Amino acid sequence: MRNVHETVDGPIAGYNDRQRQILRGELVGLIAFTVMALVGVIVISVWQGETRATEGFRAEYEYNYAGVQKVNFLQYLTSKNITPTQISPEAAAAYGVWAAANPKTKNVQVLTKYLGAKYEDTAAIFGYMSQYVTTGLGQSCEYCHNLADFSADEKPTKLNARNMFVMMFEVQNKWVESIPRPEGQVIYQLQCASCHNGVAKFWNKDLKAKSQESFGVAGGGMPYDYTFADERFLGSLPDADGRVNYFQVIADRTTPPGLNDTARNQNAMYHMNTALGVGCDFCHYGGYFRSYSLPDGTYKYPKAQARHMLGMLQDLTVNWLPQLPPLDANSVAAPDQAVAPNCYMCHRGYVVPPGDIAPTEPIQKVAAPLLAPLQDIPIPISVLPKP
Amino acid sequence: MEAEALYPEGIERRAKKSFHIKALQGFGDTQIGPIYLGIWGLLAIGSFAITVLMIFIGYGLQVGWNPIRFMREFAVLGVEPPAPSYGLQFAPLAQGGFWQIATLFLTLTLVFWTIRIWSRATANGVRPLLPIAFGAALFLFSAIYIIHPISMGSWNEAPGHGLRAQLVWANNFSIKYGNFYYNPFHMVSIFGLLGSTVLLAMHGATILATVQYQSHRELDEIEDSTEGTHRAQLIWRWIMGFNATPHSIHVWALGLATLAAVAGGIGVITSGPAEPNWYLWACRAGITPGGIAACVPLP
Repeated sequence: MRNVHETVDGPIAGYNDRQRQILRGELVGLIAFTVMALVGVIVISVWQGETRATEGFRAEYEYNYAGVQKVNFLQYLTSKNITPTQISPEAAAAYGVWAAANPKTKNVQVLTKYLGAKYEDTAAIFGYMSQYVTTGLGQSCEYCHNLADFSADEKPTKLNARNMFVMMFEVQNKWVESIPRPEGQVIYQLQCASCHNGVAKFWNKDLKAKSQESFGVAGGGMPYDYTFADERFLGSLPDADGRVNYFQVIADRTTPPGLNDTARNQNAMYHMNTALGVGCDFCHYGGYFRSYSLPDGTYKYPKAQARHMLGMLQDLTVNWLPQLPPLDANSVAAPDQAVAPNCYMCHRGYVVPPGDIAPTEPIQKVAAPLLAPLQDIPIPISVLPKP
Repeated sequence: MEAEALYPEGIERRAKKSFHIKALQGFGDTQIGPIYLGIWGLLAIGSFAITVLMIFIGYGLQVGWNPIRFMREFAVLGVEPPAPSYGLQFAPLAQGGFWQIATLFLTLTLVFWTIRIWSRATANGVRPLLPIAFGAALFLFSAIYIIHPISMGSWNEAPGHGLRAQLVWANNFSIKYGNFYYNPFHMVSIFGLLGSTVLLAMHGATILATVQYQSHRELDEIEDSTEGTHRAQLIWRWIMGFNATPHSIHVWALGLATLAAVAGGIGVITSGPAEPNWYLWACRAGITPGGIAACVPLP
């Protein structure tokens, strides 16, 4: 039986009261949900504003070589509320006395080998130390030196710094100089500040607590303290063809089942996103992450560079940091401790680490360095565009 | 206002009195009750309770039973399946066992719920299209949580139980199998998803626009169409040259909506055994940007 509530005439008929009430309610609901969603987005954005401003993603969808600029280190320190350190008056006075008595250096073992005879001059050493080490570590001379005898090796900090200089130059020569790059791209040089960023004890367990506070325990402390120090990564060495597979996950017929490897890959990639402040497209073709090229044939150098840097990270973790004992219980040196080195350690949200320096003087290769790597880690072959 | 006064049609066979909540009138004008429990409903609820219990125990362990952390980190908490090394074996509770129990009972819940819908449809004297449509969703669930992991030999291929875990699985699954957007079954599934939603929007707007001519009385209109339906059909013939009928629009909607789930399930099941890398499949099919030339050499 048909039950027509009412008959409506006319070309544009009106709603009855009940229909109007329903439509009004739906309109109010729609507006309410829209407003709630907008407010939610605004609240979350404001809440995360500080994080995004300092560490956030700056999408660089087009790899523009001219766009990869190093930030000014002093500006970076200021943005982190770190006041660049100056040499203390006592140290400056002591240096004056020392330099007057010793115009030529005594007991300099590293800089002269890697940077040349120029650093047999005390004033040259002082210039280098005050420019790079004081600012880089945030410490005055007395942190490492006996101000009465700058050449003395009595402080463990000085011995540690010497070993770190060797590590820095060796890593520069082996990994940074060999990075796959397009013609004309600048190679920056490592300095103390590359890792220390103005703080002597910079990489310690406090970082893990900070990360967990920011991202939650269930988030695994991601992504600042992401650790690459798993067995698979540290054990991945180039095969006979020079190829190495740190994180390959895209399946073929032989890929073992499970998504854990993919999750491991994605955690590492998310860490890299945050550490360098870039989106995935900075290194990858988004349609097929395995590819080194865009569909138009443009070669994605950053992917090859990132892979190369993973080799450096592996080298640092396996060969160098275990030889540099922590100076206190809160420092981190070995892979089995709380925080192992990762991309964020140096990059701090930028493509070029803020602490790196523009190439100033050539670094010599040293046949028998004071500190030698524990094992041989060959440089993997990079997949480069065919000429 | 009494529901009977509003909906006096004899076609609605209600066993008991239903209620209206004034505040909900604007949100669909729904009737409340009566609800039928029955043995299948009871089994579904009990089974779902065990699922929720397992998941919440897993969450509790992750946050050290701290309610503040539970609230704060709820969105990222997840009960994950066992590691690949366990294959299809049972895992210790904290290493995937909770997930296995939760998934087992979640599957049972959905099966019980499907049977419940079927039994209510039968009791109500309607054709069992509702349980069949729900079965499409059940198939997609089974493809993701049961069939694909078993065919690959590892529960680790399935998603974890958690808000973020679902997103992470979708991402990882797509990455591992070479970009899921190039999976042709995924393409069809998205067609069904978007097609059914646009159809629903067109249908809803059309009926609301012609409600003053009684087109919302769809069941009557199917048997004996009147002015509301005529105007609704005419406007679509004017706009796009053809129209649906009050009957066929619902067939299309049901078909496209179930297609989304069924095609999606097939896409998941074929990922791995049939095609491990959908990007390479798309390359061979010549549908990737740049054509075949962009695929060679790989990587």
